[in-house]
Formats: sequence, structure tokens, C-alpha cells
Amino acid sequence: MRRLARQDAPEFSVAARAAKEALSHVRSFQSARTAPGPVVPPGLRDVQPGPPVRSIYDAGGSETLPGKLVRKEGDPESGDVAADEAYVGLGHTHRLFADIFGRNSIDGAGLPLDATVHFGKLYDNAFWDGRQMVFGDGDGQVFERFTRSLSVIGHELTHGVTQFSAGLAYRNQAGALNESMSDVFGALVEQYVKKQPVSKASWLIGEGLFTPQVQGSALRSMKAPGTAYDDDVLGKDPQPDSMDSYVRTSADNGGVHINSGIPNRAFYLTAESLGGNAWEAPGRIWYETLTGGSLPATATFRVFARATAAAAVELFGSGSTEHDAVRKAWETVKVKV
Amino acid sequence: MKISVERTGGIAALTRVWTVTADTARARNQWQPIVEACPWDAVPKTVRAAAAAVEGSQPDRFFYAIRAGQRRAALPEQSVTGPWRVLVDSTRAASEDSG
Repeated sequence: MRRLARQDAPEFSVAARAAKEALSHVRSFQSARTAPGPVVPPGLRDVQPGPPVRSIYDAGGSETLPGKLVRKEGDPESGDVAADEAYVGLGHTHRLFADIFGRNSIDGAGLPLDATVHFGKLYDNAFWDGRQMVFGDGDGQVFERFTRSLSVIGHELTHGVTQFSAGLAYRNQAGALNESMSDVFGALVEQYVKKQPVSKASWLIGEGLFTPQVQGSALRSMKAPGTAYDDDVLGKDPQPDSMDSYVRTSADNGGVHINSGIPNRAFYLTAESLGGNAWEAPGRIWYETLTGGSLPATATFRVFARATAAAAVELFGSGSTEHDAVRKAWETVKVKV
Repeated sequence: MKISVERTGGIAALTRVWTVTADTARARNQWQPIVEACPWDAVPKTVRAAAAAVEGSQPDRFFYAIRAGQRRAALPEQSVTGPWRVLVDSTRAASEDSG
């Protein structure tokens, strides 16, 4: 049926459309069967994405969410740098998912985008709490404010997309895939805004977050995992770049931010091989894999790699340049497809 | 008595450790009530167990592993409240002061 759905010739158009619709229903059914989060009704996959509905709150140094509303959709700049960066960053992230992937906000059903800034005192983190994004101001010694990085804003929102689609468990390899999804689409938000092709992009996550005292350029490098920082106090970036150096640990939910370097690099290698813009073919393949409905919540790297290859075949055909690029990328990072 | 607070996780996944050694009578008198105020027997002992007990999806959050003498506790940051918060903040402040 997938082969039939790809037929472009006019004589096959009716059959191709029927096959595509049938596959869409299968995917929706699979999604409903496997997704642990709220299930988006099948019809919503075809809904035209609406504009973002953003609300930015200020916690004022407390840890109470959401805090005081300081800027809502359509308001002029608030004058608070962090609040305005969050507002703009949420808009950019919404636009990538809407324009490129046809997704109607985080949940596919127009979920309002809420974010809180100035969370806690000297809080050096950003997170997704299951409903909204939260950003700290940084401690000023290691970290600047977390809204400085668009890839970090995209990263947090993508945790929401993952929660409402594949629902990847936040532990071990599934957790590292969850983290990698956030890095992949966080990087794509930045590249899409800057209109950067693969070759011009930094492929860094969290560039500009470290203070000048830190020896490092970013939190992670998708192009060269393990090279983002090397600092006397913080130590060296621990990310592996292939299964040969996979890190077995009980810390960090089984190394979710560490082993994500492996699938991150697989995405980069796919994009590098194809050239052009990473949000096009590579982004579509990864997005389809994440949201298509057949990825289990406990997927391993191998299961995910096979799913990306299947998505490449479905979108571009078996033996296509895109299919080959995906297979070779996983081969390079030593994950068997 | 040695007190240590290890913070792991977060979007950067950088491990930070703060320690204090209460080795004088005065220091022990100062730290003992702060340590005793925490319900050590009511919380997980390992970060893994603490992570398993977290409800819902909360990616990129910190976890704390706390030690005071022979006692052990592990908590997600959202559970570091009340006496735990006093212990963590006091240890961090004292460690940063001495460092």
C-alpha cells in the first residue's frame, strides 16, 4: 500500500490517494493504540494549523507556577528581556512545526503555549513540566539566562510534542531518544529562523548559555558529540558519538542527556549527506517517525533507527537517496538498522 | 559528620556537588537540627528509585542525592521542600562560602 501511495502517475492518482488515506487511518489507529498521552482524533491531523496563543508569566524568583502574566498573544514587548525572548522563541518554534510539518501546536490541536521566566533564584535550568515551559535566570557564574538560546526554547517545546505523540519513556535509550528529538527539532527551529542550510549551521544546542568564564561553546554538539565544552570546573562534554562509546550509567535517568549524542549525530549525518536544508527531507523523516503512531514508547536506538528507515521509504521510496542517507548515518554511529 | 548534596540531571546534565564537614562541636550543634528535621525514612534512597516515583512527564528536571553521615536520600527537585530545602540550601551556601 505504501508503494501504491507513492505513485505520482495520473493513472494511479485515485488509487494513490486512497492508499494514502488508508495509511493515514492505519497510522492514526496505531497512534491511538500506542500513545500514552491524550489522543488526537484522526481528523485533526488534517486540520490547518492555527496561529500561536502565547502567554508569558513571570515567577519573580519564586518557584510557584505559572506566576504573573506579563505578555499575552498580540501584546507589544514587555520590556523584560527574558519574557520577550520566550515570547519570540515560542513563536519561532510554533512556526517551524506549523509551516514545515503542518502541526497545530504542541498537541496537534492548538494547545496554548505557556512559559514562565525568572523561575527560582539563580536557577540554572530550563524544563517542560508536562504543561508548560519554565526558564531560570542562570547563576551568572556558569550559566546566563536560559531564554538566550532559541535551540533550548525549541528543545523544551519539543518535549511537549514528544509527550503528545510517541510518548517516549524518559529513561535509558528511549529517554535518550526523547532528548535527541528535543535537540533535533530545537536545532531545526534555529536553522529555520536563520535560513541556514546544513553546511552553515552550528549544530550546537544551547549556544550562548555559558558565561565567558566557561571553556565551552554550548551544552551539546550534534555534529561532533563530546566536543561542546572542556572546562576545569565542569569537566569535559561526556557525549558519545557512536555505540562504541555508549555510556552505561544510572545517573541522569540512565544517561538520557549523554547517549542522546548517538541519535543526534545520526540526524546530523543524514542531513549532511543530503545537503540543503535540514528541516526538509531529514526533518520530515524524523517528524514522521516521531508522530506517525508506530514508534513504541520504550523504543531502543535500533527500533528507532529502523523506524526512520521505514519513514524514509514511505516518504521517498526504497533505495532513494534519502533512504540511503538514513541507513548510512546509523551505520556510521554503529546502530544496526 | 560529612554532609553532601549531589545535583544531577537538568537540560545541561552537569553534575554539581556541594559538601560540608561538621567536625567541631559548634558545627555539629549547628547542623544536627537541620539534618534531624528531614524525614529520611520517608523518601527513596537512590536517584533511580526517586526517578521511578515521579508521576507524569517532567523532562530536564534536577535530581538531588543527599548524604549526612550514614543517612541517604534522593529526591526530584520538586520534592525538595520544607526541611529538605533548608538542608540543601544551607549545604550549598556553606560549601560555596568555604570554596
